[in-house]
Amino acid sequence: MAGVLVFADQKNGTYKQVIYEMLGLGKKAAEHLGQELQAVVIGKGVDNYVAPLAEAGVDKIFVINNDQLESYTTDGYSKALTELIKQEKPSLVLLAHDAVGKDLAPAVAQKLGAGQISDVVGVNFDEQGLLFKRPLYAGKVFSFVRFTDKAETGIVTVRPKSFDPAQRQAGRTAQVVSFSVNVTASDLRQIVKDVIRKTSARVDLTEADIIVAGGRGMKSAENFKILEELADVLGAAVGASRAAVDEKWIEPQYQVGQSGKVVSPTLYIACGISGAIQHLAGITSSKCIVAINKDPEAEIFKVADYGIVGDLFEIVPMLTQEFKKVLAG
Amino acid sequence: MSMRYHPVTSEVIEELKTIVGEDNVVLDPEKLEAYGMDEVSEAEWQHAPEVVVKPENAEQISRILKLANRELIPVTPRGAGTGLSAGAVPMLGGILVSVERMNKILELDRENLFMVVEAGVTTGEVQRTAQEAGYLYAGDPCSADSSYIGGNVAENAGGNKAVKYGTTSRHIYGLEVVLPTGEITTLGGKCLKDVTGYDLVHLMVGSEGTLGIVTKVYLKLMPLPRYVVDLLVPFDDMKKAINIVPIIMTHGGIIPTSVEFMDNLSIKAAEKYLNQKLPHSDAAAYVLITVDGSSEQQVEEEFETIGLLCEENGGLEVFVADNKAVRDRIWKARKCYAEALRAISPVYCMEDIVVPTSHIPQALEEIYRLADKYEVKIPCAGHAGDGNIHATLLREDMDEQTWQEKKKHVLEEMYKVVYDLDGNMSGEHGIGAKRKDVLARFMDPVQLNMIRSIKKALDPNLIMNPGKIVDVE
Amino acid sequence: MKIVVLMKQTFDTETRINLNAEGAIDETGVNYVVNPFCEIATEEAIRIKEQLGEGEVVILSVGPDRVESAMRQCFAMGADRGVLINDPALEGGDEYTTALVLAKALSNMEYDIVLAGYQAVDDGSAQIGARVAELLNIPQVTVVTKLELSDGKAIATRELDDGYELIEVPLPALFTAQRSLAEPRYPSMKGVIQAKKKPIQRLTLADLGISADEVGAKGARVKGESLVLPEPRQAGKIIEGEPAEATVELVRLLREEAKVL
Repeated sequence: MAGVLVFADQKNGTYKQVIYEMLGLGKKAAEHLGQELQAVVIGKGVDNYVAPLAEAGVDKIFVINNDQLESYTTDGYSKALTELIKQEKPSLVLLAHDAVGKDLAPAVAQKLGAGQISDVVGVNFDEQGLLFKRPLYAGKVFSFVRFTDKAETGIVTVRPKSFDPAQRQAGRTAQVVSFSVNVTASDLRQIVKDVIRKTSARVDLTEADIIVAGGRGMKSAENFKILEELADVLGAAVGASRAAVDEKWIEPQYQVGQSGKVVSPTLYIACGISGAIQHLAGITSSKCIVAINKDPEAEIFKVADYGIVGDLFEIVPMLTQEFKKVLAG
Repeated sequence: MSMRYHPVTSEVIEELKTIVGEDNVVLDPEKLEAYGMDEVSEAEWQHAPEVVVKPENAEQISRILKLANRELIPVTPRGAGTGLSAGAVPMLGGILVSVERMNKILELDRENLFMVVEAGVTTGEVQRTAQEAGYLYAGDPCSADSSYIGGNVAENAGGNKAVKYGTTSRHIYGLEVVLPTGEITTLGGKCLKDVTGYDLVHLMVGSEGTLGIVTKVYLKLMPLPRYVVDLLVPFDDMKKAINIVPIIMTHGGIIPTSVEFMDNLSIKAAEKYLNQKLPHSDAAAYVLITVDGSSEQQVEEEFETIGLLCEENGGLEVFVADNKAVRDRIWKARKCYAEALRAISPVYCMEDIVVPTSHIPQALEEIYRLADKYEVKIPCAGHAGDGNIHATLLREDMDEQTWQEKKKHVLEEMYKVVYDLDGNMSGEHGIGAKRKDVLARFMDPVQLNMIRSIKKALDPNLIMNPGKIVDVE
Repeated sequence: MKIVVLMKQTFDTETRINLNAEGAIDETGVNYVVNPFCEIATEEAIRIKEQLGEGEVVILSVGPDRVESAMRQCFAMGADRGVLINDPALEGGDEYTTALVLAKALSNMEYDIVLAGYQAVDDGSAQIGARVAELLNIPQVTVVTKLELSDGKAIATRELDDGYELIEVPLPALFTAQRSLAEPRYPSMKGVIQAKKKPIQRLTLADLGISADEVGAKGARVKGESLVLPEPRQAGKIIEGEPAEATVELVRLLREEAKVL
């Protein structure tokens, strides 16, 4: 039966948050199309990994076990996934727009002669089916696109944090189908020689997606530690206002502002920063600005999207805890 | 401090609130502190105002100045605060007038090639607006992204295109200004020639906010040159690097739009700050040359001529950028000079000496001699095309006393050298508060008196940005 | 050693984007540049040629005449020649049709390595490289930060979300470039002057033996319907309540409303 198929990439049986987001989206799409929600898990010995997917509302789970697929390779996984799609003919396949998804999706799409819509951030359900919203020019414009009828299956990569995750209900079950693929060592032209996982090395300020910054309100160099803890949980870079640098609480290369670095992160969290004009000049391109300051009249609140008036020494550690809880999924 | 001025009282604050509205009066000490500094990094040139007001037009400023005259309170005008001589720092407290709310572009007159803007529009916005309409506003200080046009006028900002297009002054044909005594008047306008009375427009330009507060500026535009090419040439010898300037202009017969130079210390600082490998970064100097024009062929001929001259006269390699992406990349290394030095040494003293172009190698030799003698790093970069060197003393890890001592000695000898070479102490950053004492020592007393006379005539109560350029009493 | 670089010309990322009366992106006064990732791929190609002391770097692009200036920039860096494909029938195509055209052109060329940018900064699709590799039936490694060549093989360092892996593939192969793969050089004056003389072969669909039905709007698998500018920045909100409550609420808003986490 035609379905909406989610590629449930897993690591040791754990699924990233984005998989649940795709299942949430997938469920809505499947209902709209009058089809079932399907998922596929690929690897070696992955039969035990189906429960979370069933609990999240998947109707049918395909399990592909193969020794050659224990680790991800473009050739291995694209061959396996393509064989499944050619057989089951889902109308839509969802993958995350992450490192694996970006690598796997176009290879599969091309093997199928299908179209791919990348980095989707929104979906409209209408009489024609599905209309996908995706960003162009780093989000300066949004494009609404649809698949033509030239191919049976459409491949979509989904941007993380764009859709509400499916809720897991204990006890829910799904149909589990074993699917075997003929993938042998000679099929794999990519030989993985080594894999190195990074320890959280902090990213350069100007490239950072998330920045946690401290200002005069930090009161000392030691106190920057609480910002570093928050930054570690978020995978963020640490920044500072000129006041903190002048006080020698942090080195000058961390200064954000007119005479420091101009940054454009997705999220900028300003702690104990009043928002002097020179500092604001460095952060106005941020997508989202959060301010934590005990002074309700602080200029920073005028440009912040969200603000908490309070003691940063109380609030920042609480934020760290809350993020840790929520991001662990 | 000064006995002549009175503090800002609560009555004065109430009156200011009536003039500009309560929301536009700033009293929070932390915010006042931010208004009490410009881009001079030394604490001795920072001082908070007693109150900041943010007017929205000349009428409000007029009322503020009349109040200041009546109460004898010093008034400091301020743009974006990107200045390098503490000209906008309220060294005596008082009222700081920020033009940040006066940020409208009023008119783009395509027939007469003029743009009329309020003083609080950033230079970058002026450049972009002109460019999008197909015109060039040729004032181009390195701080263009943040500086206000009003500040550029007050300082007669120079910038990167001064070699060919001249300083800010050349592009200002009119100003609406509020005089220290509160009168509002429009000097000049859109006429390209005007000898009606004294040249008051150009008296005001570069007066560093001591003769009035500029509220509107009439800027001359030029057709946007269709072709722009940058050359980056590393040299293994500073003398050869600087000598390329007269060679280009006389042998080549070309006036480039810009000629910038950076010494090795500056190149290394930029490399570190940008976290990017620069070509030939061990070279003694980089020279950046820009040529522009309306004919692709002419621009091509010019850059080839210049390139060949560079190769024949000590250039290690000639890099050419003829499209915006690569040009921006090349210019980043030069434009980030101040920030790159800040990253090495948060406190520094940036000088702005100017000498006739042919004397640059000698000036640099002397500066490096002083650097060796007093054991202080002095990276140099600047506008080779017009002899303007930004020699910057780096404090690095020195303690306060050593820093002040060395600074004093180095600057004393540096200025002597500059004057011996027929130069002057400020090409574009202005005197402000920072160089006031030095000016008093080095300027011809006749000229100092001319300045004082004019100042007293226009500002009898001496409330308009006092303590800048010259002391009158 | 023959290296072909797939190059796309895009807008300068700092361009202010406006929509015209027809709802399409307004291209007046726009500054066109070599897609930064393609520039990196070009640099790497030239670097490989220089290291080996022999070889040829060919720039292959699909697009209108203005793409020539982008090619000249690649020539100025050291690429040897270019192939530019243009045809009115390509209008309305998608990644599928573009890859088809590029692969067809490549099938008529000699290559040991095909390099491409990992994505274009205008559409961020990140598909072309993989699709072309599939069509040519050569192995691919995407998002490459380092490339080492040895006899008939390459070891590519591929960037992961949380680290990187070293992947060995036999040549010929296709690689897509990530930022740290190479730092594009400043073109030398000689390079800029010589660039003007390097040849660009211009091809149409007929030259490639592709019928108009296979490409453009007729062959596309994806169709664009409309474009919309993002909403302007809203006024901010102060989150009320006790610190513990406010914190939880802030995290919730960041995830569900702002969608930044």
